[in-house]
Amino acid sequence: MVDLKFERVSKKYRVQQELRASSERISVSGLLRDFTRNCGNFWALRDVSFQVNRGETLGIIGPNGAGKSTVLKLLSRITAPTSGEISINGRISALIEVGSGFHPELSGRENIYLSGSILGMRRREINEKLDSIIDFAGVRQFIDTPVKRYSSGMYVRLGFSIAAHLQPDILLLDEVLAVGDAAFQVKCFERIRALRDMGTTIVFISHDLNAVESLCDRALLLSSGEITADGPASDVISQYEHSAYGIQGRSSSTDANEGKPIQITGLTFRDYQEREVLSVCTGDPLIARVDFAAGEPICDLDFEVFYYSPDGRLQCQFSTAVSRDALDLDRGNGAVQFSCAELGLQPGLYYADATIKRRADGRQIAWQYRVALLRVEHGKRVSGRFYVPHQWRLTQPGGVARSEGELAKQ
Amino acid sequence: MADNWTSSFVPLVLPVDGRRVTIIRSPSLSRFSLMKSLTELAQYRDLLYTLTVHRIRVRYKQSILGIAWAVVQPVSMMIAATLVFSLIARVPSGDAPYAIFAYVGLLPWNCFSVSVANATGGLVSHSQLITKVYFPREVLPITYVLAALFDFVIASTVLVPLMIYYSVPLTAKVMYAVPIMAVLTLFSSSMALLLSATQVRFRDIGVAMPLLLQLWMFATPILYSLNLVPERLRDVYMLNPLVSVVESFRQAILYATTPDLWMLARSALISILLLLASYVYFKRVEATMADNI
Repeated sequence: MVDLKFERVSKKYRVQQELRASSERISVSGLLRDFTRNCGNFWALRDVSFQVNRGETLGIIGPNGAGKSTVLKLLSRITAPTSGEISINGRISALIEVGSGFHPELSGRENIYLSGSILGMRRREINEKLDSIIDFAGVRQFIDTPVKRYSSGMYVRLGFSIAAHLQPDILLLDEVLAVGDAAFQVKCFERIRALRDMGTTIVFISHDLNAVESLCDRALLLSSGEITADGPASDVISQYEHSAYGIQGRSSSTDANEGKPIQITGLTFRDYQEREVLSVCTGDPLIARVDFAAGEPICDLDFEVFYYSPDGRLQCQFSTAVSRDALDLDRGNGAVQFSCAELGLQPGLYYADATIKRRADGRQIAWQYRVALLRVEHGKRVSGRFYVPHQWRLTQPGGVARSEGELAKQ
Repeated sequence: MADNWTSSFVPLVLPVDGRRVTIIRSPSLSRFSLMKSLTELAQYRDLLYTLTVHRIRVRYKQSILGIAWAVVQPVSMMIAATLVFSLIARVPSGDAPYAIFAYVGLLPWNCFSVSVANATGGLVSHSQLITKVYFPREVLPITYVLAALFDFVIASTVLVPLMIYYSVPLTAKVMYAVPIMAVLTLFSSSMALLLSATQVRFRDIGVAMPLLLQLWMFATPILYSLNLVPERLRDVYMLNPLVSVVESFRQAILYATTPDLWMLARSALISILLLLASYVYFKRVEATMADNI
């Protein structure tokens, strides 16, 4: 039984070009010309066909601008395709953005009715589920307070709770799982898993490859508006990782560094045994090694490694600039090794930049952008944005004191 | 579970398992089905109700006068108009005192102008929602029309003390107000749909609205009587559907006479045709509204 079907779907957006330089005289004919000519076309999706069977969990991954959100918008009927046909079998709802249709002046209770009916619920249905919605969000105490007085966490929880009570046949998920505190995230994931186990068809669109891998049976890889891979989630994800940004996890020197007094010749990751690795687990030791070649003696340097998530956000940095003294190098080859006892990055895909800058003026004198790819896998499982290295120890009067180390020895 | 997901463009197919199949295609006029659109709108009637109540509530929530604003606005217009047109310009108002004459004209006019003025920006001001969730978009402009109708009912209560004060008899003819307001609602809805959908592409509409409404007010017998309009201009003048609405309303309430039903029927027909055309246009624009907003 097919629940969702895309048949040769294309979507074109009209892109308005920037107005011409302001020094030019503005004339009516000029404006008319702009109006008619300067509309470029941008194909967000081109001839995309796929289908999703009942009960299947499909992940859609791909770089920014690949057309993922366009698929989501078409599926949730927010906009219509330019050509092609989409068939949807059953009631579909999207957990795209929580708190849609909230009004700050109205109370939590009034907003449940408002947002619920915008999402397609009937009043009777909301009446029946009201208590459950309030309890799931954990805002019973404040339910008659205007939502403008809510904390952002309460606001998001209430929004998600309404959406989670929709009971759709087909569920669309965006990056919504990144909302609320850890306890609430666990609750959301439980809810989604429960829906999946009940046989709800799920389409999950995300940057979080690990979340896709753990939730989805199958994945689609989109790039530049076309499907480039379709298959079991783990296969498609590893294909994506190896094609991502055209890098293989090992670097080669590029023109950017030619003719410089110092060049970065590589950035590699190693585990605690100094074996080269492409992936590492959260909480494990990690060594990042920056190889360089100095054409002449050079002073007052700092080495840095930057880690970015696939959406381009800087996540963390290794740096020699945190030490009191800058580095002075002799002529010749060498390497700077950064070692970290417990990696704090959460599971996901990261790409790294390596740079060398002069401490005096902060100017970069050598760099390799997106030179390496690091995959972080589930190790120490914690919720939240990152893992903070920590130990624990149990004490109880009269009992035996225990700690992590002792347990490990047993 | 009852399923309420339907398509605006193609017939519904009920598969064996009772689920509804939605087909989404590129929008086209030839595939437009009025019945399907109306069925879908009916399925969202709870949203229509909730949003209308919401409009009314939000508007008066944080103001001191609250719901009294619905009265203050037309009453102050009435006082200003009485000072200018009765005391200074001495515009004749027939047998009735000018104050109540003007108020009875202002009631339907305010209902129309408030609903159209608010509805015009109604889609653009909900762009957050339109780009995130699907629901039949016509719900938004229509809620403004319904909310204005609520204000009209509140403002009408002032008629009671006014009629007692000026000893205007209250007769059964007042019941004519119901079909008259029905015609007005049809006409307001057609303008609300047309203008709000156009505003999405051309923001000029919103800028031009105050001017347009001002001119429209002068072209409607609100502060003066229809009798003052020269005979030779009547035919053109009567093209404005609001003329017969305001005039009939005044006939029924103020003069306790049966309004010109023929004239009213013509306005009703014009309003229905306009509403149909605006609705088809609106649904066509709706399909890709989220891309342009």
